[in-house]
Amino acid sequence: MSDPTSELDGHSSELSRSELLKRGGAAAFAVTMFGALPDKSLGFYGPLRYQGKQLSGELKILQWAHFVPSYDQWLDSTYVKRWGEQNDVEVKIDHINNALLFSTASSEVAAQSGHDLFQFISPPSSFQKQVLPLNDIVQEVSKKVGPMSRVGRRSTYNPRTKAFFGFPDNYAPDPVQYRRSFLAEADVNLKTWEDVRKGAPKLKRAGHPVGLGMSNEIDSNMMLISLLYCFGGFLQDEENRIVLNNGSNRKGAIEALELMRDIFRNGMSDEVFAWTAASNNQAFLAGRLSMSLNAISIARSAENSGNTGLSDDTWLASIPRGPVTRLGNEHVMGVYVIWKFAKNKEAAKKFLIDQQLGYREHFVRSQYYNFPAWTGAIKGGFKTIRAMTKQDTHKPRGKYTILTTIAEKYTTNVGHPGNSNAVIDEIFNRYLIPQMFAQVAQGKIAPADAVRDLDREAKTIFRKWRAAGLV
Amino acid sequence: MNQPLQGVRRKLPTYLVVVPFAVVLAFPFYWMLVTMFKEDLDLYNAENVPYVFNPLQWRFWESATTKHVEFLFEDTQYPNWIVNTAIVGIVVVAITLLFALPAGYALARLSGSWGQTAGIGIFLVYLIPPTLLFLPLSPVIARLGLQNSLLALILVYPSFTIPFATWLLMGFFKTIPQELEDAALVDGCSRIQALLRIVFPVSLPGILTVVIFAFSLCVNEFIYAFTFISSTENRTISSGVPNELIRGDVFFWQSLMAATLIPSIVLALLYNSFLDRFIKGFTGGAFR
Repeated sequence: MSDPTSELDGHSSELSRSELLKRGGAAAFAVTMFGALPDKSLGFYGPLRYQGKQLSGELKILQWAHFVPSYDQWLDSTYVKRWGEQNDVEVKIDHINNALLFSTASSEVAAQSGHDLFQFISPPSSFQKQVLPLNDIVQEVSKKVGPMSRVGRRSTYNPRTKAFFGFPDNYAPDPVQYRRSFLAEADVNLKTWEDVRKGAPKLKRAGHPVGLGMSNEIDSNMMLISLLYCFGGFLQDEENRIVLNNGSNRKGAIEALELMRDIFRNGMSDEVFAWTAASNNQAFLAGRLSMSLNAISIARSAENSGNTGLSDDTWLASIPRGPVTRLGNEHVMGVYVIWKFAKNKEAAKKFLIDQQLGYREHFVRSQYYNFPAWTGAIKGGFKTIRAMTKQDTHKPRGKYTILTTIAEKYTTNVGHPGNSNAVIDEIFNRYLIPQMFAQVAQGKIAPADAVRDLDREAKTIFRKWRAAGLV
Repeated sequence: MNQPLQGVRRKLPTYLVVVPFAVVLAFPFYWMLVTMFKEDLDLYNAENVPYVFNPLQWRFWESATTKHVEFLFEDTQYPNWIVNTAIVGIVVVAITLLFALPAGYALARLSGSWGQTAGIGIFLVYLIPPTLLFLPLSPVIARLGLQNSLLALILVYPSFTIPFATWLLMGFFKTIPQELEDAALVDGCSRIQALLRIVFPVSLPGILTVVIFAFSLCVNEFIYAFTFISSTENRTISSGVPNELIRGDVFFWQSLMAATLIPSIVLALLYNSFLDRFIKGFTGGAFR
């Protein structure tokens, strides 16, 4: 089975005649029974299909244009349509480029009008005052499938306000993707960051440099923050206080900066300062890079390109281990919010609950990109997920099983060991971490001074959000 | 025998200058044309020659594919985006002319030296970037109930096309001798009749320049088009193409090239058909 979605062929979205009659009957019954009693049925998330007029009106959803177009096609024309019919809601779903999510959200907030459900791909903590707390539906889902994953919880829960400001539906593990033949020829391995430091010059000499960006874009941001974790350079502690310039954090951050400076000087070129989120994909697919950290879009694009030489030689691995730990950020954290100005809040909540409870299909349709925020949303949890990813037949066979290990052991939220709060959100979206690494790599500032400056800046940001009551 | 040779010699310096320019300017079009028909395997192999179809063969079309162009037309809303862009462009051009023609004329003729200052002031409005304006304009659009409607763009675009067109036409109207209008007035025309029968027909190059320029601005505009239109089918080309064909960090290069080449050719043909008048329009006030 080369296409993971073929697993679902037996559960085609098209209804059979008998199924149609069955559902039609249920719908007629539901309309008759509940049509006149809308208030009594409100809030019921039971198994009945076609629940009459329990929900009604229009539900407007906005989310990113998924890198797997067939996932969006299925979501828009099958899943959403089916859900809308079952709930008497007319669902309109729009997709936008991920780089424009925050500007569009800002525009909707300014207008106090727009979509009911808005999905971000990183925790949108700075919008907390504009969104509904979603504790009720988080509890509802947790009751049914078990606790939310730690990465999901830490990304969407604010301990200060005791509210879930967002509803995480998925996250994407962030593996290393590498060209096995290039690494073998250069006798390089990627077990530790020290291995990367030693191997980078060899790979550059062989014409296949490592691809680790230091630019204002999501891939650089995720990778460099992960690198800080591996060296123990945590920006904040578990209580969400800024501690970058304290003790072991400072030492770890300085070591991480020195490592990237070495890798850049000996193993990369200036282009990494101007990369966009697509640059590592493109350089890898062009056969130039030997390794990069990214979600599985590189490997999947290689498969879709038909270049089996490239695809078969593209292997996946966990993030290299640092002196302190082996830990990486999720690459994408899908977080839905319901705006306070949303017109159909009930339908929005039910959509999220239903989507999570049936996440298996989303996981498969997204080609194992969207891991469920509630691991139990796929019956059997990681055990089943591992078995599912093992079935992918692209070479090397079973290469996607490592995603399960990464998700289970080595994936955390941005802001670890604290929460993804408004301070982290601002630091993340102003790209302060990539800028710090770039300045050190370019020799513009000493690592110790860079750490001190970022710590100061982060504390200023912290004070601002503390005054706003969000941290 | 000698005459053709002399002709070639005479024109040689011109061609030596023009040909390199033409090649450089036409190259992006060639690049787009080749890329849009490339197989993924051809495109992503860095060892391939990027300017031709690989594997290289005389029957080059056998190394090419139309599937990415088909994807653009069949699996995206591209045809809708073209229609939407045309609707917005045409209506905005009409609104722009409606306001900019009288404004440009008034500033050029009726206001003396004050007109020049006001003209510059109006032009400065054009320079305010949409990236600053889209947030305050969002509530306006929402209150008017125009979100996700082409009417939002039709309302907002004249805010930058009218100032530019007014400034451009003001310069052009100044090149038209006052005596022409005076003669018309003496012959019994009212000022409006003088405008319609004498001034505007003489100003056709300037008006065409405004038409083409305003239309191009509408086609190119991204921020408003992206912010005020949220559904895929209502988008214009400028927001629909990057939104649908750049997914996360994956670019659908061939379809992107096709999507940009098609309107580029239309616009290029439009520009070229009015090239002489376009140049006249732009240089209208240059020698006064």
